[in-house]
Amino acid sequence: MTTSEQAAPKENLVMEHLVSLHYSEELTPILERYVDALIDGRIVGHKCPQCSRVYVPGKGYCPICVVPTSEKDEVEVSDHGTVTGFTIITPVAYYGQEETEPFVYASVLLDGASGNLGGQDVVGIPRDQVHSGLRVRAIWKPKDQRTGEGVSNRGWGSVASVIDAFEPTGEPDMERSKYEEHIF
Amino acid sequence: MPATDIAVVGYAQTRSVRRARESEVQLLVPTVATALERAGLDRREVGFTCAGSCDYLTGGPFAFVSNLEAAGAWPPISESHVEMDGAWALYEAWVRLQHGDIDTALVFGSGKSSPSDPAEVWAQQLDPYYLAPLGVDPVSLAGLQARALIDAGKATERDFAEVVARSRRAAKDNANAQVSGDVDVDPLLQEPYVRAPLRRADLPPISDGAVAVVLARGDRARALSKRPAWIRGLDHRIEVHQPGMRDLTVSSSTTLAARKAGYDGGPLDVVELSATFSPQELILRDALGLGADAVVNPSGGPLAANPVMATGLVRIVEVAQRISEGGARRGLAHATGGQVLQHNLVCLMEGD
Repeated sequence: MTTSEQAAPKENLVMEHLVSLHYSEELTPILERYVDALIDGRIVGHKCPQCSRVYVPGKGYCPICVVPTSEKDEVEVSDHGTVTGFTIITPVAYYGQEETEPFVYASVLLDGASGNLGGQDVVGIPRDQVHSGLRVRAIWKPKDQRTGEGVSNRGWGSVASVIDAFEPTGEPDMERSKYEEHIF
Repeated sequence: MPATDIAVVGYAQTRSVRRARESEVQLLVPTVATALERAGLDRREVGFTCAGSCDYLTGGPFAFVSNLEAAGAWPPISESHVEMDGAWALYEAWVRLQHGDIDTALVFGSGKSSPSDPAEVWAQQLDPYYLAPLGVDPVSLAGLQARALIDAGKATERDFAEVVARSRRAAKDNANAQVSGDVDVDPLLQEPYVRAPLRRADLPPISDGAVAVVLARGDRARALSKRPAWIRGLDHRIEVHQPGMRDLTVSSSTTLAARKAGYDGGPLDVVELSATFSPQELILRDALGLGADAVVNPSGGPLAANPVMATGLVRIVEVAQRISEGGARRGLAHATGGQVLQHNLVCLMEGD
């Protein structure tokens, strides 16, 4: 076959198939209590009766020890914590992205919790000065504006509907050994 | 030649409910723990773990990862997941056990159908060019299958209703069932159609639930269980995806899977079929060559409880339990995946 006999390249056929699925469910009783506490300005979790790790929010079990936890294992943790890791995000315009300016996406280890609270904005400090070990405290929304929106049964979710951001407390940095196993 | 000294030595399942308040992992935690406890096995001794669930059903990408927390994944374990019914997780674990280097495995299946609309979710498993955009839902496809069965002169609506009545009656003895009771065929036939010729009672309930199984091989199985339910044969076969390209009134893949699993047509004390819609029981009975006297779905089957992604593995548990408790010596469990019996698994089990 000579070059001139080759068929003209075909245009790709593209079909649009947008899928939208709807889910609706009640929060688990544990998360219901968690949200009620958040609206009240408190952060609660479950403390494993075996290993003493504190999960925020509680899961109803300890995934390390695989023992059930319940309301009797509920503990309150502080709204003060330490930035363990962070990313400065420069948003690009993609479907669903509402941010336009660079922002901080930080993991905060709340005092008394055994795991990070992910995806927190840190304000009141220039972005380039945010660092691991920075001591921060929650800036709560006014009580009448707090909702449970964003908290989900699926093991992830956010506190963005109750806490706007975190800000530096002005305390000296946390000693690295106290948080380094939470950096990732 | 696959090993035939692999057995079910522990099992547990949740009650099926229309809407569980607990998370899917919370359903699994006590279920997995009970299965291991019944087998007398510490979770740290498990050689391989495999789970079946569906992220589309749960409503989030990687939702299956948190289910693993029910098995205890720290220190790290050897595990796998199938986006399929737990029966296929059992298949993978059974294959893994054939390697011979481990002698125990944990398998579980779970699903909460309550948060979503099954018609919306399951349309997405169809091919994305011709069927999914139409939004064809499982009930409509099952309606077409039922119609084909009637048109072929193979069954009547009364036959469907008889399957329903028998399933619900059987489910009265099943504490995990969601739908049970004494119903007569004639009143059932007076009910309106949901998708003609199917009525509401021909459809499975929408269920939340979970199931777990412990497998062991050889001497380990004998040590862990007084009466292991030996898996004598296990096979699965799949047919063409397009429902229009196969005869919906037969299930050739079930027939083939049964033959490959070593089912010889001999007597069975118990049969548990994933007949999600009542007409499918007739098709599957025919595919397996079961006589009218066969004990099919003594648990009530999927018409009584249908925790999707666990339903097939529950069938295996129902048979294994009857063998382990001494009520049966030889049984067959069937699981299905895809639409209108596209993909079928057959598990042949025996007691000592």
